[in-house]
Amino acid sequence: MRPSVLKYVRVRDYLRSLVTHELQVGDAIPSERLLCERFGVSRMTVRQAVDALVVEGLLEREQGRGTFVAPAKLDLQVRLSSFGEEMARRGMVPSSQVIAAEDVPASTDVADALDLVPGDPVHYLHRIRYADGEPMAIEQLWVPRLLLPGLLDAGAPTSVYGELRAAGIEPDWGEDTVAASEIDAQGAAMLGLRAGAAVLRLARRTFAGQTACVYSRSSYRADRYVLWVPLRAPRKPVAPRPGAGGAAVPGTAGVMTT
Amino acid sequence: MTQASRILAALGGVGNIIDIEPCTTRLRSEVHDARLVDTAALRAAGSHGVMISGRVVQVVVGPGVDVLATDLEELM
Repeated sequence: MRPSVLKYVRVRDYLRSLVTHELQVGDAIPSERLLCERFGVSRMTVRQAVDALVVEGLLEREQGRGTFVAPAKLDLQVRLSSFGEEMARRGMVPSSQVIAAEDVPASTDVADALDLVPGDPVHYLHRIRYADGEPMAIEQLWVPRLLLPGLLDAGAPTSVYGELRAAGIEPDWGEDTVAASEIDAQGAAMLGLRAGAAVLRLARRTFAGQTACVYSRSSYRADRYVLWVPLRAPRKPVAPRPGAGGAAVPGTAGVMTT
Repeated sequence: MTQASRILAALGGVGNIIDIEPCTTRLRSEVHDARLVDTAALRAAGSHGVMISGRVVQVVVGPGVDVLATDLEELM
């Protein structure tokens, strides 16, 4: 690697540590001149390092004023609670702008996620989710109509999980699939971002016991969210006893992929 | 037939299994031959989805997966 590249990484990692562990939100970072002197690098190298952290969302540049520590990202914890519940837990005020609230026939992918047959009736909600008035995510959500026929009777509900619980349906497990993506022009306008900005796309299936009750697809601003995933060592796999089934081929372990 | 025995049969039987690991909400199984896996039968056995990637078969069953894995162990 060229030495200039390594220098850039050193400055960037120094700033990252400074931003996450010493400075407060809104603090200015050290001047370009100071950083140049400290690391013995050119202004261009310092700018490159700062640019990288601006793109990551750790720093914010304000025209004519300087570069400052950006608000900390929220950890998007993969847990079975709604956007509203999560925001309230963090002491933020959740709100929504409803784009659509209607009954539609389930498309093939929605039907598959909800253990339905394509064409089965589902409630459909499309909302922009806000925290303290700031747009954070766009969410599309589907609920089998037979499960909760009156869900949209009084317009879009504030909390879908709340309505499910009120009807005695207790969501108790689910699965999230998370992918990195860029936001399209329409989504960018909804979230106040530039087109092509990074988002985390979450597809979630929510179950109550053996009943699939909600399927949702959301785009979370990557400049405001990080994904937090708890890890545990897997339970020991179970394997056939030697000789069981008669056809086991030994020594064929392969690479596990998701 | 119990759910465990239906799932084991749909995975191609004991002879097709290398191992099965309970993974929070999924049974994650490595098989000798993924072509012997019957996706429709897995769905009919009460699972909520099947993902096959190479020889790794993941069956979405929910938090009951630990009990199911114990039942499967007894059948193997």
